[in-house]
Amino acid sequence: MAALKKSTELLESVYSVVALLFILLACVGLCDAAAAVDVYRLIQYDMSGSPFGSRFAALNHHAASLSFPPGADLSRTVLIIPLRELNITFVREYITQKKPLGGLLFLLPEVLSFKHGGNMQVHEKEKMKKLLAELERLLVHSNIACPVYFAFENDDIDTVLADIKKNDAMGQPATATTGGYKLVIPTAEPKKVVSPTITNIQGWLSGLKADGDANQLPTIAIVASYDTFGAAPALSVGSDSNGSGIVALLEIARLFSLLYSNPKTRGRYNLLFGLTSGGPYNYNGTQKWLRSFDQRLRESIDYAICLNSIGSWDNELWIHVSKPPENAYIKQIFEGFSNVAEELDLKVGLKHKKINISNPRVAWEHEQFSRLRVTAATLSELPVAPELFEGTGSLFDGRQYVNETAIIRGVKLVAESLARHIYGHQGKNVQIFADESILAVNPAYIRSWLDLLSQTPRVAPFLSKNDPFVMALKKELADHADEVNVQHENLEGIFTFYDSTKARLNIHQVASVTFDLLLLLVLGSYLIVLFCFLVITTRGVDELISLFRRPPSRKVKTA
Amino acid sequence: MTMFHFFNCAILTFGPHAVYYSATPLSEYDTLGTSVKAALVYLGTALVKLVCLATFLQVSENDGFDPYQELLKALIGFIDVAGLYFALTQLTHRNISQNHKFQAVGLGWAFADSVLHRLAPLWMGARGLEFTWEYILQGLEANANLVLSISLAALASLIWLRKNKPKTLIPIIYACAGIVATMPSITSYLRRGLGWYFPKVVGFELFTSLVMAFISWQLFSACQRPSA
Repeated sequence: MAALKKSTELLESVYSVVALLFILLACVGLCDAAAAVDVYRLIQYDMSGSPFGSRFAALNHHAASLSFPPGADLSRTVLIIPLRELNITFVREYITQKKPLGGLLFLLPEVLSFKHGGNMQVHEKEKMKKLLAELERLLVHSNIACPVYFAFENDDIDTVLADIKKNDAMGQPATATTGGYKLVIPTAEPKKVVSPTITNIQGWLSGLKADGDANQLPTIAIVASYDTFGAAPALSVGSDSNGSGIVALLEIARLFSLLYSNPKTRGRYNLLFGLTSGGPYNYNGTQKWLRSFDQRLRESIDYAICLNSIGSWDNELWIHVSKPPENAYIKQIFEGFSNVAEELDLKVGLKHKKINISNPRVAWEHEQFSRLRVTAATLSELPVAPELFEGTGSLFDGRQYVNETAIIRGVKLVAESLARHIYGHQGKNVQIFADESILAVNPAYIRSWLDLLSQTPRVAPFLSKNDPFVMALKKELADHADEVNVQHENLEGIFTFYDSTKARLNIHQVASVTFDLLLLLVLGSYLIVLFCFLVITTRGVDELISLFRRPPSRKVKTA
Repeated sequence: MTMFHFFNCAILTFGPHAVYYSATPLSEYDTLGTSVKAALVYLGTALVKLVCLATFLQVSENDGFDPYQELLKALIGFIDVAGLYFALTQLTHRNISQNHKFQAVGLGWAFADSVLHRLAPLWMGARGLEFTWEYILQGLEANANLVLSISLAALASLIWLRKNKPKTLIPIIYACAGIVATMPSITSYLRRGLGWYFPKVVGFELFTSLVMAFISWQLFSACQRPSA
């Protein structure tokens, strides 16, 4: 009895182990692919309830190239479009007319990837910039009901694309019955980003307090917004917009902290450095930051200089203001800058744009200051205010689009102008931040920060409260300023963002169903032939015939 | 679709064994027990070979052909032959004629070989979306292996079970048995040393298996004539 019980127990445990093994085997991921590529999804967001961007993330369709036979059904196909073959009107047609499409995969040239950082010809740069800007503008402002991804070209994907083009040229689009390539991205459905935060970092450098009361010292603010927004949030590094601004701000902070470290050279102005977030969303962060100020502090701000895109200009920078140029303060600021500009052999122009209070669109950061009656100006290479979601970190705004010399000259311009105002040397030809001096602008510092920024996508909803990059900025500012404060706010309610910005694409080469059926037929006939052969050789031909004649013989017997 | 491919390759790999069993008189004489016992003996032999390989063989970094390692592998391969001897002679079989005994043992041997070597890769690989010819070639290899196993079993039964053989044929029998037994080493030499591609190797295996089957069939019938 005991022995029987033991044996049944043993059997049961064996069965459970076997069952577990089967389950385990069935769950093993089946992931050999012809190629696996990193892909970056188009942004998905809602603005005031209206959906924009690509609304889906998962992909499991056949691939086709642009040379597909006309009139083919693309509702279960992914179009692979390299940038050099892009036809904007074609894409615009598909999107605006909401034609059914399985998915879109745009291939960007390898020079744009941050791992490569290659060099491009100048005229090619301009063409690509224009094309990418147009594509981004189309995609960001449309509602696309299929997954849209960006990828960088490499050898694997190039061979796959060439193969696909060959197949398409033969007039057979890839479907379930004709084989070809299948693109699979196994991600979950994109979810809303819950309460996206924007983090403002401010650094304070106290000026030299006279023997009177300390709080009356005037303040000069230098502000730059550090977050980006682009068609592909995982690629939105914004080296020029606004990486150049951040780098310039950090360098100016470093120079002035050197000056202010010694009481003998400390100026009679406080310096307030602000790294704001929420720039692309009508400078929402700057507004919240300013609103959080004490009334006295706000009134003590003499003026604010906002830095926006100063990384790829040749000879001309613009100062944008919202107060009329005849205003005394504006005149003073502009004159200060022009004097220094002359010495540095560059031109500075003044542009005036009136604020329309009823229009929620805030195109420049200084407008947020002006709405609160603080004198402010934006220094930028852009002559015209950018549109919503434009020029805030697009696909071509990578490391090779920005050049350090421009930033260095910009830093010199701002630092000298500020210093002359602070120390009262207006109009005098004094070079405080001369080259080869202790206070020279440090190109290595600028270069290293620019390189870091060009590898860090900074779209605000995807930066968590304690994001390492934000912490790094805070630490860097803390090195230069006396006091650093971090302010966390929620992003303005009209925007909702969805996650899933990066994925891994598996490209599988598949055989068609007809091939499998054919193979089944061949194998079936092989086994039947084998069976007949063996029966004939071992038992004789009669046996084989009798196998097929059994039913009639039974009939004969019963009858 | 991918399970379909798995199903196709599975029937290519394991179908012939089932067909062989049902088509030949083996099914009439109910020799399933013998085949199962032979499969178990193969399992034991495989474990012993594994232990020996782990103990004596060094893992080489490159995929080239090292004569000493291959010689060692061939020697360990003879454990296979010892296992077959054990299955043929030592196991108690019901009263089945020698003709059917070697077929049953060969069938069981080949089936166990296919299951152990080919089922796991087939399950893991053929179910994926990616299409390769590899599993179809593996199935063809399994077919060749079946034929080779049966011929090896036939020659082995001639060597150990039949007492009165014509003197002239004995060296030929031993030679053929030797060739069939060292077939794994030959194929690995072809693949590594000469760098043949898998389809070519499979074609070679199919060809040689048919040739050896024919030769062993002739030898078997030649030895059968005097006693009959």
